[in-house]
Amino acid sequence: MSRFLNFDTLSLHAGQTVDPVFGARATPIYQTTSYVFPDTDTASSIFNLERGGHAYSRITNPTVGVLEQRIAALEGGSAAVCTASGMAATFCAITAILGQGDHIVASTQMYGGNISLMKNTLPRFGITATFVDPTDTGGFRDAIQDNTRLIYGELIGNPGLDILDLEAIAKIGGDHHVPFMVDATFNTPYLCRCFDYGANVTVHSVTKWMGGHGAAIGGAVVDGGNFDWGATDKYPTITEPYAPFSGINLWEEFGPSAFATRIRAEAMRDIGPSMSPMNAFLLLQGIETLSLRMDKHLSNTAELLDYLTGHEQVSWVSHPSLPSHSSHKLAQKYLPKGAGSIVSFGVKGGREAGKTFIENVELASHLANVGDAKTLIIHPATTTHSRIDADALVAAGITEDMIRLSVGLEDVADIKADFETGFRAAKRVAKG
Amino acid sequence: MGFRTRQIHAGVTPDPITGSILTPIYQSTTYVQPSVDEYLSKGFTYSRSGNPTVKALENKIADLEGGVDCACFGTGMSAVLATMLAFLEAGAHAIVSDVAYGGTYRLSTKILSRFGIDYTFADTADPDAVAAAVRDNTKLIFTETPANPTMKCSDIAAISEIATKAGAVHVVDNTFLTPYYQLPLDLGADISLHSTTKYMDGHNATVGGAVVSKTDEHAEAVRFIQNSTGTIMSPQVAWLTLQGCKTLSVRMDYQSASAMAIAEFLEAHPKVEQVAYPGLESFAQHELSKRQASGFGAMLWFEVTGGVAAGKKLMDNIKVWSLAENLGSVESLITHPVTMTHADVEPAERARVGIIDGLVRASVGLEDTEDLIDALAAALDQV
Amino acid sequence: MYFAVNGKQVFATTGGKPFDNSKPTVIFLHGSGLDHTFWGLHARFFAFRNYSVLVPDLPGHTNSEGPPLTTIEAIADWLNDVVKTLDINNISLVAHSQGCLDALEFASRFPERLKSVSFIASGLATPVNEALISAAENDPEAAIAMMLGWGFGPAGQLHQGPIPGNSMVAGGRKVMRGNVPAELAADLRACDAYKNGKQAAAAIQAPAQVILAGKDRMAPRKAGLELVAHLPDPEVTIIEESGHMVPQEAPDRCRQLLRDFIFKNNPTR
Repeated sequence: MSRFLNFDTLSLHAGQTVDPVFGARATPIYQTTSYVFPDTDTASSIFNLERGGHAYSRITNPTVGVLEQRIAALEGGSAAVCTASGMAATFCAITAILGQGDHIVASTQMYGGNISLMKNTLPRFGITATFVDPTDTGGFRDAIQDNTRLIYGELIGNPGLDILDLEAIAKIGGDHHVPFMVDATFNTPYLCRCFDYGANVTVHSVTKWMGGHGAAIGGAVVDGGNFDWGATDKYPTITEPYAPFSGINLWEEFGPSAFATRIRAEAMRDIGPSMSPMNAFLLLQGIETLSLRMDKHLSNTAELLDYLTGHEQVSWVSHPSLPSHSSHKLAQKYLPKGAGSIVSFGVKGGREAGKTFIENVELASHLANVGDAKTLIIHPATTTHSRIDADALVAAGITEDMIRLSVGLEDVADIKADFETGFRAAKRVAKG
Repeated sequence: MGFRTRQIHAGVTPDPITGSILTPIYQSTTYVQPSVDEYLSKGFTYSRSGNPTVKALENKIADLEGGVDCACFGTGMSAVLATMLAFLEAGAHAIVSDVAYGGTYRLSTKILSRFGIDYTFADTADPDAVAAAVRDNTKLIFTETPANPTMKCSDIAAISEIATKAGAVHVVDNTFLTPYYQLPLDLGADISLHSTTKYMDGHNATVGGAVVSKTDEHAEAVRFIQNSTGTIMSPQVAWLTLQGCKTLSVRMDYQSASAMAIAEFLEAHPKVEQVAYPGLESFAQHELSKRQASGFGAMLWFEVTGGVAAGKKLMDNIKVWSLAENLGSVESLITHPVTMTHADVEPAERARVGIIDGLVRASVGLEDTEDLIDALAAALDQV
Repeated sequence: MYFAVNGKQVFATTGGKPFDNSKPTVIFLHGSGLDHTFWGLHARFFAFRNYSVLVPDLPGHTNSEGPPLTTIEAIADWLNDVVKTLDINNISLVAHSQGCLDALEFASRFPERLKSVSFIASGLATPVNEALISAAENDPEAAIAMMLGWGFGPAGQLHQGPIPGNSMVAGGRKVMRGNVPAELAADLRACDAYKNGKQAAAAIQAPAQVILAGKDRMAPRKAGLELVAHLPDPEVTIIEESGHMVPQEAPDRCRQLLRDFIFKNNPTR
């Protein structure tokens, strides 16, 4: 074989060789806390990072390991660490390299949890952030300070679906020796492999499209292996001796997977946001059909965009695949298969009409998650953002008539029929 | 090694690849063979025919029961079915305890009878009645001791002797006492059978069954049915049951001690007509129970003064105890068979097997004994 | 650590312990286009068992100053200069792939301080197909895909690795991307040009060990056995399930073999 295996093959096989004990074709679920060592030398060498192996399931677990290697393979990263949730992934990834006095340049258009982490939680530990408009790439450069140690954004932003210009931002990071970390939850490696465009780390909520069935919560940090941590002295957690493992120098020992190893050695050991083996098994099942599901998410999204764009009760539709969207060109460049399956649209008649629409659809589930196999829908103005006043809503890019839709895998005719019911009810309110 | 050591370690060895101290959950349908010539060399081909996680549980239960092999099933009922299919055929005759679990009765009279199998329901508490029921074509004697819900016991050794003479297989449903208290195979039975749903799991988490054989010949017959009917246990269930088995003795000891205290409390209570618990001296088969088992278990029943209405009233007012089917779990459960599990059984039939109107069945759990007694006292006050 | 050899900066890891030339020393030599990270855990294992460890990046590779050396003989000379610069005695040399040619040449010409030599996944020569050399110069991504595609066995192709969560093949790709086109092309040309393997092997005096891989497509078993045939009385092991990248694909077995051989032939006090 003079080439590497392709995406669909990796989504089924990466990280797993057939169980050598019994030949079980599916990955065994290692629902165990700990591992019996054959002898003390093996035990001490595992603890001292002289060899691979499992000691305790907070740090590594064979089932979770298969998922980690599968995600690393799909992203083209040198290593991955799975975590109990997507937020845990983000937290571990950031704190692996940043400490008191350090600074993040981050996009304003992000999931509320990410914003809150950087705005409220990390500042308590001396890590500050400057938020910049993701559509103004130069803003990232302007916001960089002497103490900036990270550029962070979501490839497909929330809620405006603005697309990051990966190459341009990666170049800014490279020029300043600052790694570029991308939350790739909305795109998955099937739609865009961010490392190919210069991103250095990706983080995922694998709860969403990666897992795909709304069955398990989980996160992943993927090390792109392409950042030169040793070029400056800005990243001592990677390049300086790490006392707990006899002063190991992770950059020297692990090179392209030094960053992931720091998370493994520190966050998984001292903080312990570990993924459960059962969740890893469920998520592995989900990833086996990632490309099939994504194709269907995208084709349903395309049909619904046509339907919504032409609907008399719809005041506006936003999706990066529409020429009217400000990120349309970037979407074509970075997401040629399609720009994901999140759509926002406005219901004519404002706040009440939006609320009525939601209350009258039945097939689409009214909830705050995204990326399920089932169609999900929410009215941000009366739910996720209900405590924000009208001006702040505008600043967050949310209008009172806005519906956020996560397009599922149902028969698209049934989704449309469901929406018709909602629109009829909304029309009555709008007139009323 | 002792039972407490074996309930933890029997059947389980650390995973040879990773050292994982617990058997992994092999949630896999199939097994990749190294080559055509080495087909089955690793022991597994397809999870209906065998699964490494289920096998670990089977090995553990076989060890605890002192059998040569154990086959696990999707439910206790499919374990019962397997023994009947393994040892009976059209034209054959079986003797089944007349107080066996209602499901066993239903399986015999409503299903297997359609395939030309003859049944006699005998009072297995009386070995002479069993001997009298034996025919030339008797192939199977099925007892359950203590029986559900009457607590009637059968003399395992005596009936095994009758079975041996008759050339029949003696199957004992050992669900109520588990191998920790009672070892039917040592007493002469051929098969010990379980609803693992009960004490083996112990946490109300799974449904499952197990059939333990004393000889290779019987084991092979049961395995053949397991594979050809496909009534198998899932790896997830096996894994949870493996965990439950580890605390079997601890749970049984505590739950049985509570049951004894509760039985004594009830026996002394003015609103209770009678109590059936093998540990009570008043229990008709107390001596037999002491002889063939090392403990009395955690199941009992009692009769509330005032018949159906009183039984219902007690159920409606009781706290701590859950009004639920199943038994053998850490949660204490209480049922009123006449209005619940046996409501559709003809009163005459109920009376015949001893399910009287005021009978309340109690499965004593792992809560504080005091709390269980206080709850019963309070509910009885309302009656 | 960094040190100067012939006026050029050389980088080497020391396995997590300070380098100490008074101890028996294990020197690890990486293959074409790779660097010190190839040996990560193995180096650490010996460093924590009272050996001094040196894992250099060849000139031009990753952290060491260039230009890359263009012949195996030159690399052997350079290695001897490293040894003299650091005044290393009691050397156990552990080499993989191209490193084995470097080791053959070094061991035959500079036997004085050598206690043992371990050859992993190599023959007496490494003829390189012109298409690969040309790809290294003109289409590095294709060359990397060819080398890692051939190099890793089945598990490696599925992104497995000795450390849970780490992908060997992706890690190798990142390292190689830092060593193209010049270093990789120089390495491959040096391999292809090297013809002195037979004579060198026959001249080796130190105890030798050969570890071959059953699924090696870069240095097939037949080539490996030729090396075995020309060494005086080597210890030979074939790890059937491994591909060419033995130290990463069969790390536990490889470590055990190295440990037993080096503990025996170059004991620590």
